[in-house]
Formats: sequence, C-alpha cells, structure tokens
Amino acid sequence: MTRALPWRLPRWRRSLLVSLVGLVLVLVQPDPQAQISLRADIPTGTLGTVGSDTLAGLMLRWGEQLTHRYPGVRLQLQASGSASAPPALTAGTTRLGPMSRPMTDEEREAFMARRGYPPLEVEVARDALVVVVHRHHPLEALSLDALDAIFSRTRRCGAEHAIERWEQLGLDVPTRRIELHGRNLASGSYGLFRQRALCDGQYRRRLNEHPGSAAVVAAVSESLDAIGYAGLNHLTPGIKALALVESGGTAHTPDAESVRQGAYPLGRSLYLYLNLPPDEALPAPERAFLDLVLSPQGQRTVTELGFVALPEETLSRQRRELGLSP
Amino acid sequence: MIKPLSAAPSTRSPRRHLLDRLATGLIVAGGIGVILAVLAIGAFLAIEVVPALFSGALSQAQITLSLSPLAWGTLKAAFWALVFAVPMALGAAIHSSVYMSPRLRSRVKPTLELMEALPGVVIGFVAGLVLAPWVERHLTGAFALLLVMPLGILMAGGVWRLMSPALRQRLPLAWAGLWLVPWLGMLGLASLELAPWLEAWLFAGDLRGWLDTELGIDYASRNALIVGLAMGFAVMPSVYALAEDALSGVPSSLGEGAQAMGATRWQTLWKVVLPAAAPGVFAAVMIGAGRAVGETMIVLMVSGNAAVMSLSPLEGMRSMAAGIAIELPEAVPGSDSYQLLILAALLLFLFTFLVNTLAEVVRSRLRRRYRRLGDVS
Amino acid sequence: MSLAAVTGFRTWQPRGEGPWAWLAAGSVALSLLLLAGLLTLIAVRGLGHFWPASVSLVELDDGQVFAGRAVRELPLPAADGAGGARERLYFTGNRDLDGHVWQWVAVARITASELPRELVVLERSRHGDFIGRLVEVVTAGQQGTSVGEGGRGGGDGGGTATWTTLQERLSAVDALRAERDELQQRVIPPLVRRLENDPGDRATQRRLAETNERIRGLQESMQTDAAVLESVDGRRIVLTLDEVLRSWRPNAMSLPEKLGAWGRGVGRFLSEGPRAANTAGGVWPAIFGTVLMVMLMSLLVAPFGVLAAVYLNEVAHQGRLTNWVRIAVRNLAGVPSIVYGVFGLGVFVYGIGGSIDEWFFSDELPSPTFGTGGLLWASLTLALLTLPVVIVATEEGLVRIPDHQREGALALGATRLEMLTRVVLPMAVPAMLTGMILAVARAAGEVAPLMLVGVAKLAPQVPMDGEFPFLHLERKFMHLGYHVYDTAFHGDDIQAAMPVVYATALLLVLVVVVLNLTAIFLRHYVRARHGALSRH
Repeated sequence: MTRALPWRLPRWRRSLLVSLVGLVLVLVQPDPQAQISLRADIPTGTLGTVGSDTLAGLMLRWGEQLTHRYPGVRLQLQASGSASAPPALTAGTTRLGPMSRPMTDEEREAFMARRGYPPLEVEVARDALVVVVHRHHPLEALSLDALDAIFSRTRRCGAEHAIERWEQLGLDVPTRRIELHGRNLASGSYGLFRQRALCDGQYRRRLNEHPGSAAVVAAVSESLDAIGYAGLNHLTPGIKALALVESGGTAHTPDAESVRQGAYPLGRSLYLYLNLPPDEALPAPERAFLDLVLSPQGQRTVTELGFVALPEETLSRQRRELGLSP
Repeated sequence: MIKPLSAAPSTRSPRRHLLDRLATGLIVAGGIGVILAVLAIGAFLAIEVVPALFSGALSQAQITLSLSPLAWGTLKAAFWALVFAVPMALGAAIHSSVYMSPRLRSRVKPTLELMEALPGVVIGFVAGLVLAPWVERHLTGAFALLLVMPLGILMAGGVWRLMSPALRQRLPLAWAGLWLVPWLGMLGLASLELAPWLEAWLFAGDLRGWLDTELGIDYASRNALIVGLAMGFAVMPSVYALAEDALSGVPSSLGEGAQAMGATRWQTLWKVVLPAAAPGVFAAVMIGAGRAVGETMIVLMVSGNAAVMSLSPLEGMRSMAAGIAIELPEAVPGSDSYQLLILAALLLFLFTFLVNTLAEVVRSRLRRRYRRLGDVS
Repeated sequence: MSLAAVTGFRTWQPRGEGPWAWLAAGSVALSLLLLAGLLTLIAVRGLGHFWPASVSLVELDDGQVFAGRAVRELPLPAADGAGGARERLYFTGNRDLDGHVWQWVAVARITASELPRELVVLERSRHGDFIGRLVEVVTAGQQGTSVGEGGRGGGDGGGTATWTTLQERLSAVDALRAERDELQQRVIPPLVRRLENDPGDRATQRRLAETNERIRGLQESMQTDAAVLESVDGRRIVLTLDEVLRSWRPNAMSLPEKLGAWGRGVGRFLSEGPRAANTAGGVWPAIFGTVLMVMLMSLLVAPFGVLAAVYLNEVAHQGRLTNWVRIAVRNLAGVPSIVYGVFGLGVFVYGIGGSIDEWFFSDELPSPTFGTGGLLWASLTLALLTLPVVIVATEEGLVRIPDHQREGALALGATRLEMLTRVVLPMAVPAMLTGMILAVARAAGEVAPLMLVGVAKLAPQVPMDGEFPFLHLERKFMHLGYHVYDTAFHGDDIQAAMPVVYATALLLVLVVVVLNLTAIFLRHYVRARHGALSRH
C-alpha cells in the first residue's frame, strides 16, 4: 500500500522522488579517499590533524608542499590549541596531533589507558615564546623575577612584590597600570609560559586570554601599556621583543642561535604526535608527511616562517628512528 | 482546526480514505518527531550534567569557582549591551511608530531588519580589531562622542524651533531620522577634532592617566563598554522590531482620543500609548536580553576573555558562550571541564528559554488586550 | 494605521514636541549612521585591498633607502617627540632579504619620497612579495647574456624593454604552470585510485610514470628562465621565473590599467584557494563550503520544518498542550547558537558519529570517519538551529489562510490530505520560502556552532569532487565566517591578514544581505497577496 503514494504523483514528481532517494543513497556512501592506500609506495589519502595553532601556519605550508609532491595526499587542519590534540588522538578523532609543548603525564596516561601503547612523538621544529611590548615602549630587557611578578598572582618564582604598574620597573613612562595579554587555556603557549615563567603558579585574573597569538600581537601593538607573550614567528615591527635576564645577570635575546642551543629560557620544541600501534608500520600518507617535514626542504620552511630549524643531529637521529631514508 | 466530517461521504473511495489516514499518521509522527528532536536539546544537556551534579563529581566549590566569573561576565556584557541597545531601540521605535513619515518608515524598517542579519563575526572583528584600538588612541574623542551625540540631537531640536516656518517645513520632524544623519556625522567629526584640545585643557593631555590617578579607574583596551557597543549594535534591531510592532499595534482610537483633547503627540505617547504597549516593550527588551546573553562571537573577539569580576565598565570580562566556544573542542568528553562547560551551556539554555517564554506569554496577553480594546472602540 | 498619518497636520504647528521627541528621532539617525559607517568601512577596506597601490621610494635622514607601499599612519606617542609628530607604516616586502615585510618610519625622518616608474612588484610563491628594480632577464638559450638592461638610475627606455621580455617569459611560464596543474589535479588522481584498486595494473603504472615524467619535464622548463632583481638599496637576487606568480609596475600603470588589475584581483579572490597560510590568495573553498553547507541544511530543514508546522497548525488538537509546544518551539529560535553547537558536538559527533564509526568503519579506527566534526554534522546542527525559524514562518503562512478555503475544499469532498496538498500548502508556499530564506541567512552568518562541529582552518579539498560518491559528508569544510575569525586571530601576520579579513567580511555581508533582501521582498509579496485574500 505504501506504493500508492508515488503512483498518484504526476510523472515529474515521481522522478523527483526517485532521484531524491538516489541522492540519499549516494550521500551515505563513505569516502574511498579516507581509506589508507593499499600500496605503501604511492601515498594517497587525507591526513586529518587537530592541535596547536602555533604550528598551524607551518602545517599549512607543509600540507601545500605535500600535495605538490604527492597529488593524492591532502591535509586537513583544525587548529584550536595544543590541548585539543591529546583528547583527539585518544578519542581517535585524528591521526596526527601537532603540539607546541610535550604531552603531559596525565595526557600520556589517558592515551595509554585507552590504546594500550604510548603515542609516537616526533620533534619537528624549535620555537620560543617571546615577551613583547609596544614598539615605542622604553623597556628593552626584563628579569625573569619581574616577569613572574607582572604575570602571576602567586609569585612562585620568588619575587617579593607584585608589579602592577610600569613605574614600578623604574621606567620613565606615564604612570599606568600594566595591561596583560596572553593565550587561552587550551594553547600550548599558556601552559609553557605558566610552567617556565610563572614556576607553575597562577596567572593574574586580569590576563586577557586571546584565542590566537595574532590577537595578542594585535593588542600589544596598539597599546603602550600592554605586555604579552607570543610565538617567535608572530613578531612584527609593530612590537618589540624583550631580552630576558636570568637571576645570574645573563641576558638572552630571543634569536635563532640561542633558541637552537636551548639557552633562551622560554624556548620550546614543537612536536607531532601520532597514534601508531607499536607493531604496525607507518601508513603511507603519514610516512610521506614526516619524510617531508624532516627533510631539508621541510626545515627550510620552518626557517622561512620564523621558527628555528632542528639541529642536524636531531634530524638524522629522528629519521633513523622512524625508518626514513637518511 | 477544522476536521473532515467523521462520516465519510460516499464519494470517497476507500483507497483515498486510507491514504488520508496514512498521510495524517505520517504528519503526526513526523511533526511530533521533529518537535521532540528540537526539544531534545534541553534534555541532552540535562542528562549530561545532572548525574554529575548529584553524584558529587562536580563539587559546589568547583562550580562556584569556575562558573561565577563566567556568569558575571555574561551578565555584565549583556547589561552594557542593553544600556546601549534599549534607549536607541526604543527611541527609534517611538519615532518610527509615531512621528516618522510612512514613506520613510517603509524604507527604514527593512534597513534595520538588515542590520539584525549582520553576522556577529563581522561585527566582532570590526569592534575587536578596529574599534577597540581606535578608542584606545582616541579615548577623549570617544567619550566626547558619547556626550555630544545626545546633546547634538537636542541642539538640533532647539535650532529647529528657532528656524523660519518655511525652513521648518523643508526639514519636518517626520523626516528627522534622515536629515539628522549628516548633522550628527558633522558633529562627530568636529568633536573628534576638538577632543585633543579638550584633553589637553581638562586632563593635562592624558585622560587615561587622569582616570587612573584621580578616580582610580583602570582602563583596559578590551572592555565592557566596547563589548556593549558592539553587542548593542547587534541586539538593537531585534528590540526595535518587536517594540515597534507593540507600539504601532496599539489601537489608534486610544491615541486619537487623547489628541482630540489637546495632548501633543509626545504626551499622547507617554500617557496613553506607551502604558498600553508596555508589556510588548518589556517583551522586546527581554528578547534582546536573551540574545545578548547568548551572543558568542562578539564577546569572544572583543572582550579579551579576562576572567575578572569587576563592576567597572572599563574592564574586560569573559562570558559563558565565549568560554564554551574556546574551551569545549579541547575538553575530553566526561572530564570535569567538559561537564562544567556543558553545565554552562545548560544555564544559558535555561536562562534564554525562560526569558523568551516570559516574553512570549506577555506578548500573547498583550495581543488579547489589543483585540479587546479594539472591540470597545 | 500609524498615528503619524492621522495627525500629520500638526507638523507645521509652532508648538514643538519637546526634547524627548528629538532624542527619539536622533536614535533613528544614529543607528542609520552607525550602520552606514560599518558598511562603508568594510566595503572601502575590503575592495581597496585589490587596488594596485603606488610604491614610493623613500629616503631617510640617515641615508637609508627603501621602497614600499604606505599602509597606515599614526600619531607618535607623546613621549617620543613633540605633539603632532606622526609615524607611517610601509609594506616593504623582500622577506628573504630583510627578514620582515613591514617598516615603521617616523614621518619627520623622511627626507625624500618619490614614485619612480621603474619599480616592480613581484608576487612570489615563496617569501611573499618582492619590491625593487628589474635588472635583467636571463633565458635558457642565452645563458649569461642580458636581454635588456633595466638600469638603476636609468630612464624608462631600457627598463621597458626588459619589462616586456619579463612579461613574455612569464606568460610562457604561466602556460606551462597551467598544464602542470592540469596534469596534477585531473590526470594523476584517477590513475592513483585505479592503482589502489588494482595494484598490478601495468598500463596504469606506465601511464602514471609517464605523467610524472611529463610533470618533471614541465617543471624543469619552467625553471630555465630567471630574472635578476635588485632591491632599491642595491642587493641583488636571482629568481627563477616559476616562482613568480604575477608582476606589475604600479607607478607606471594608468588608471584603466589599475582598474583592470583591480577587477582581475577581485576575480582571483573569488575563484582561487588561499595561499601563504591564508594571508594571500582567495577564498573559493570557503565560498564553496558555505554554500554547500547551507544547501544541505536547506534540504534537511525544509521538509521537516513544513511537516512540523503542518502538524502543529492543521492536524494537532488545538488545546493548551499544543499552545505550549508552539511557544516552546518559538522560544528555541532565541536559544543561543552555541548551545546548539554543544548539542551537535555531544549528540551528533560524539554520539551518533562515534557509533557509526564503530559499526561501519571499525577497520578505519582509530582514525575517525564520522566521529569527528564534518559537513554532515554541521549541516544537521544548523538545520536544528533554523528549524524553529522555518516552523514559525510556515505556521504564520498557514494561519493567514482563511478557514473558508479549507471548509470549501472539504465540502467538495476532499480528504484532509487532498485539502492540504491542493489548497493549503500551495497557498502557504511564499511563507515557507520566506522562512527558508531567513533560515539560510541565519545559517550563513552563524559561526559559533561550527567551531564545535566541523569547520576547518584549511580544507584544500572541497567536500565535493569528481570522485565517487561525489559528495563527501564526513569531510571538514571551510566557511566564510570562520575564515574571518581564524584569519584575524590565528594568522601569522595580522597586519598582512587584515585586508583579506575585510574582503572576506564584505563577501559574507553581501551574501547575507542579498538573502535577507529576498526574504523581505517575498514577505512583502505574501502579505500583499494574503491581504487581498482575506478580504473575500
């Protein structure tokens, strides 16, 4: 009896109905491209990534180059912060997780608990968090104690007094309250800055938490009262990077060499995490991607975008470990 | 509604009858299904959160600590949005329902409706990355603008009274919505030009320093005033549309009676029309509040997301909607932060749902009242 | 009937209406002013992005020389100099030479600024723009021989000759590039897929190898020519022409030429994909993603919205309960969109999507197919978000249909189904359309829920292509609104991204405004028509 309905319809409506049903059938078909290539030497497929927005620009460029090398491989990027990578890897909503900090123990444990093996960690570049002020600000260098006293309400690093106003630093500036700009909770920069600059203390509540580094830079470059932190690659002439002075008195400017050697106090490594069962070989798209990233071309892109390339020995060690041709 | 006669006339074949039954059944099932799906939102949020609340997985202290700044920020942002939106929207509604020429009104109404459709992300971008830095550089100018605009409008009214009748007919009040635009634009530019001198004269060239030292007020570049302005801009059209409907829905006999007894139009409006339409206007404001509370992108892009709880309109805030948008994609399902964010979503849902229900009930009462008043005349 | 019409004769009376009436009038004027201001700002900045602006050669008081495009000017903070001093931002390009592309200069330090005609701007595939002088073009045949001398202080003569050669060479390279892209995008993917299905297929393997060889050949012939370039302060670089995407001499362009370049710029913006981490190139994938998502959403929301409205208005018993349901549905239109996003993430992505993956794509796990945000979930979430709009609008249309129309149909012996399909629904079509368009307009501008259920920063692969099944519902997609947010907040260089953001915002506003205008027009039409009907 259910057939009665189409019968009563005029011809064009019937054909419309049939085509609609056909469309629905077509729609629920899965995408064959999502399947990993059967042959290991011709990588095809879509690489979904969820994670750090610091690495987003780099991942985009690598993705462009990857597609250029292997027309069958694409990269999809969701950049919402490093903290989004471990849950996505654990829940299996992604295969690649770029992170601007190493996984914490809890994140690693959560992954182990669900999967039974640890995630694969690959260092892909070095970076640093740079403390920035407005380009016309008289400040040139800042001690780590003062940095903590400015950003933290707990002052775990040992500063005696909170610094809330610029004149407390002995500067000849209009007497103003310091305006704090930083990143949101989910970003790797938030965690790293808290760990290194705040000695795991608590941020001040007045910290403006921006959802992207570009927004921090935009805010700082428009205001003489502002101080903030952002990734090395976000430096523009609108802002000025401060040198950081250790308690011993040595000052570190955030340049490529001091970051590569690990002398700059807020330096960090950028990682890619993979969900790879230990007994399995690297699937072809991932393999092609890592091969590109750890190649001279990939590392050139790192430098082009304002990050710091990995030292030669780290590169070759990782290529060996991953079984890539040296 | 009308129902087909239960005793089917003999002309209906059994097949048609069956088909009809079938279709009716389908519509009922489909309709109820769709409505249930829509209503499932509340149920889903409750199911996700309530067990955690009762099992004690989320402690009272945890909830208070993490949600109170967000709740405060949400209300603060909504409050300042309404401070900007309500006077503007009500003023515009009054003007367009009482004074405005019908020809202009038929143009202005759709224009303001278009304003309602402007995506929040566009308004947020302009307010956050263009307006906020601009205001920071031209603080005096911005405050001067806030002051000059109402004064300038009043001045226009004063000047208008002194004008010759011929000129007054050229620039009637019915078209004031249009011819005041260039006047206000000029005034705005002039006050921006004069602001630096004013600042030098009154505040020794540094208004922010003056605010800080004299009043102890801290100025954050991402602050509630700018959020309020941007969100007020987004909310104003919907308040306007509803308030205008309420005002122009008042039976004209009421106003005519008052005017026949010699009241001016403003007196008529204030003493007769507005009281009659008050519930509708109230409903409009409530719906505006609902929108302001839930608006996400504007607060996210403009407010700076600092979790401070301060009363000062010159400091920032973080709202629940923005918090959800930034943090939820990163939260592990089932974790504390995930459940807290879902709880925030539930609160948002309940708040807007209640506010809107209230407004809807008030409006339907009002509609009945108008019908009654209309019958009397 | 508005009071204004009734009492219009009072306007000429000497007695004023008092200050409040003027404030009311002022608020109309103020909101129009704000709206006009916002739209003008977006339009001017968004469209100005494509204008080939002049490049000035600037000399500073310390002898430093640079070439750049003036971007903005700000007053210097009072501490740095006398009041009234200003500084100017120049876009100088040449990231490979200078390490940066912007330069702030105090206006007082500029001793000379001119617009030499021979300055060239090259858009490159790496390192962004180059600004400087063209020295010579070196071609394969004449290795080392200069084809024309552009000269530094030189007049226009030699420069123009070199410039012409460069243009000829570049158009040759463009043709090669087009051929290569064609091969890479159209020829290779089907071959790869065929090999995936049948790895032993010799013919296909041979064709793949041949195509790869041809691509390599094309690539090589693109790299034979090179341009020798010199920055204005005298540093030279050699650039193979395959790296040059476009070139122009802004100072030598006439107004019609600039207009032409502007038009082509707009065209490229609409048709190309983003480049350089979304700060350059176009927004085609975002336009496509937005439109596709909205279309899918309409397919979902239209039948269900109408079904629910018909049920509420025509079938359900009109009691207290129905009334409450109606109010509840109406109120859901006012529930914040982010709440719908939370629902979509929890129910569609984690709930339904996760289950689908476990049942049908378990061999794919842990990499998810439907268990992550994607086109389908985004469309479903937005469909749910806009359902109340469609239900309310359709119901409004149904209520306006006079009862005697239904009575007439029934009296003539129609069943309820016939009454609905032949009489009631056709009359309600314009109302349904209005509802649909309003829904579409709301969905097109909505960003917050998408951040939770499946929009991507860059999805170079649009969710629809020539591969079976043509439409890939589980893929992520780009969206105009999210593009605005993402480029403005997550980009590398905010200053470089601003014009793109403005242009994208303008595009989004245009889309939404056009949709809304259609809805307003349709509603007008509905009211006019049904106004006429109810008079019967």
